[in-house]
Amino acid sequence: MEFTSEKSGAFLLLMVKGRMDTITAPEFEAECVKWLETGEIRLVADLSGLEYISSAGLRSILSTAKKCKAKGGDIAFCNLSGIVAEVFSVSGFSTLLPVLETREQALGRS
Amino acid sequence: MHLPRGLSFRLAASILSATAVVFVLITAVTYQMAREALLNGANDNLKNLTRATVNRIESVLAPVLRVPRGVAYEMEEGTLSEAGMWQRERRVLDDNAEIYGMAIAFEPFGRSKSQEYFAPYTYRSPLGPMQTNLGGPAYRYQYMDWYQIPRELGHPIWSEPYYDQGGGNALMATCSVPFYHMVEGKRQVAGVVTADVSLQWLKRLVDSVMVLNTGYAFLLTSTGTYVTHPAEGVPFNETIFSRAEEHNDANLRSIGQDMIRGGSRLVETTSLHTGKRGFLCYAPLPSTGWSLAVFAPRDELLAEVNRLSLVTGGLSAGGFLILAIIVISLSRTIISPLRRLAGAARAVAEGDLAAPLPEVRTHDEVRELADSFAHMQGSLATYIKDLTVATASRERMESELRIAHDIQMGILPKLFPPFPDCGEFDLHATLNPAREVGGDFYDFFRAGEDWFCFVIGDVSGKGVPAAFYMAVAKTLIKAVAESTKKDLAAGPDPGSIMTRASNDLAQDNESCMFVTIFCAMLNMRTGEVRSACAGHNPPLLLPAGTGPAQWLPVPRQPVAGAMEGVEYSTASFTMAPGDTLLLYTDGVTEAMNPAQELYGEERLSHFAESKRGFVNARAMVEELERDVTAFANGAEQSDDITILALRYLGANHDAGNCRA
Repeated sequence: MEFTSEKSGAFLLLMVKGRMDTITAPEFEAECVKWLETGEIRLVADLSGLEYISSAGLRSILSTAKKCKAKGGDIAFCNLSGIVAEVFSVSGFSTLLPVLETREQALGRS
Repeated sequence: MHLPRGLSFRLAASILSATAVVFVLITAVTYQMAREALLNGANDNLKNLTRATVNRIESVLAPVLRVPRGVAYEMEEGTLSEAGMWQRERRVLDDNAEIYGMAIAFEPFGRSKSQEYFAPYTYRSPLGPMQTNLGGPAYRYQYMDWYQIPRELGHPIWSEPYYDQGGGNALMATCSVPFYHMVEGKRQVAGVVTADVSLQWLKRLVDSVMVLNTGYAFLLTSTGTYVTHPAEGVPFNETIFSRAEEHNDANLRSIGQDMIRGGSRLVETTSLHTGKRGFLCYAPLPSTGWSLAVFAPRDELLAEVNRLSLVTGGLSAGGFLILAIIVISLSRTIISPLRRLAGAARAVAEGDLAAPLPEVRTHDEVRELADSFAHMQGSLATYIKDLTVATASRERMESELRIAHDIQMGILPKLFPPFPDCGEFDLHATLNPAREVGGDFYDFFRAGEDWFCFVIGDVSGKGVPAAFYMAVAKTLIKAVAESTKKDLAAGPDPGSIMTRASNDLAQDNESCMFVTIFCAMLNMRTGEVRSACAGHNPPLLLPAGTGPAQWLPVPRQPVAGAMEGVEYSTASFTMAPGDTLLLYTDGVTEAMNPAQELYGEERLSHFAESKRGFVNARAMVEELERDVTAFANGAEQSDDITILALRYLGANHDAGNCRA
């Protein structure tokens, strides 16, 4: 998995690219934890580059969300497509976590 | 340990064979050179000996020849009277010990017309010098060789040697010198002066020529007759040609021809006398036309060379032996630690990791090898110890996992049909974990008088953590269902069961695991099904009639255990008798074949429709399992596969009634 990040207002925008499976899932969590530790507690993950997500990936996302919450921040997801959107939908993650259509919506949250 | 043709053997063999070749070459070359040098020297010696002997013989013969020649001059001057001639002869004998007799023979009727033969002859006899006049009808000397040949040739000649019977039985030769007088201005032969010369001294001289041990000399006359020869009976009896003929020796014949021609050579030949190979050197005696030959045997000439070669060879062999001992012991010294190391290596290879290693005291490659080997032995011992521990630990783990598998399978209901009395439905389920233990589960139980609860779930992740979570989730759902069934007069509510179970799971869920669950309650009497779905794949409904298989339209709700405070709702629909509900986990739809294709939902629904006329739930489940396995075609199963089929048969089925 590859990550690129940029600061946007109060948020740190994280562009995720690749596959989030059993092997790579911990990378996402580690990347987010890295930002959390630098004080960036409001994260927005742009998943437009994510090709696949497994249940291990979901677990990693859940764990990250909990860690954000514990720090008093949050994490939102946007630009889901294809199988990733389907997995989020079937697993109900789209109702558990803030999932938005576009990056602007995600960055426009209060 | 014995290593035939080992390194030390090859090392020693190659060094020693190379050395042997060098030694042999040196010995051979030395022998060759020494032999040539010695032979050259020996040949020079032989020539010198021959020449010296010839000179010695000549030094006697030449003065002897001068005596008759002097008398012949006196005769030509005509100063001697008859008495003077007798006196002269007598004086010659007195003065020359080697002259046995002298005759002054005149041509017939040369001295006087009245006297045909006039030849005063003085000779030695045992009684002292005797004088007589030769010639007579019985002895017509003018026809004798000693007279005729010099007369005809016109110069002095030596006769063939002979044994004189009368003159002391001595070896003799006669030297004849013709003398002349002038008749009417012409020089005519007047007679021949002869001197009988004893050749005993010559025989002694020639016989005394000793060359090494078996070398010898011999003398040939100008006709090839042997005058002296060491062999008994050869002198005067044989010629060199008769011997050559007798032994069919062409070489000897050509040597003889050259000798009587006055040749002087050194040739290599084989002696007929001693049978030895050697060198024959011959030279003529100028005054007689005879030829002296000296034979030197080659082996004796070469004895010195052979002795020298023997010494060289002996020294070489001795040196070689010493070298061999050094090389062999050195190579043993080098190789023996290697051999012992090889033995230790074999012991190590056979499992004796504590095998003692040979101590190498030298500081060389062998030492390096031994050190490396010791290091390897140590590393190997450590590695094997670690491996043993790791293997034991892995075996323990595997054994524990097997037990865990048995326990996990044990907590799943496995008795089919589960309620043989209940004719309202037919149910079958199966679970195949991808590893020893898995995170899938299914469950079913009676939940009140009319209600039957069936559940299928899939924990995120696999293996032991998922197995634990699965056990907790399964137990919790059943416990919650059991605890709530009495409270609800309106019947069970899977949504609230799920809400409570999810909340309980989410509390203190540090690992952030979660589980997808489909939980449903069947009213056996009416066919009503109430269900709640926590992020699970919607079940497939295969209607009893001809309609297509369809996915149950369950509301999308989050996975259970992810977060606290998630509320689940209940959906409801009614199954007609003959309808079948197929519950499964994503291990079915995401089963992969070697071409990386997924089994997929479409294939699943086709499969279900093809089984519309199926016999029972067990056949449905088992055939789906087989179909998925056939599709995977040997590809590794990556996820647990769980299938549950429930066919509603209706309340008043022949097979029986639960409530009855």
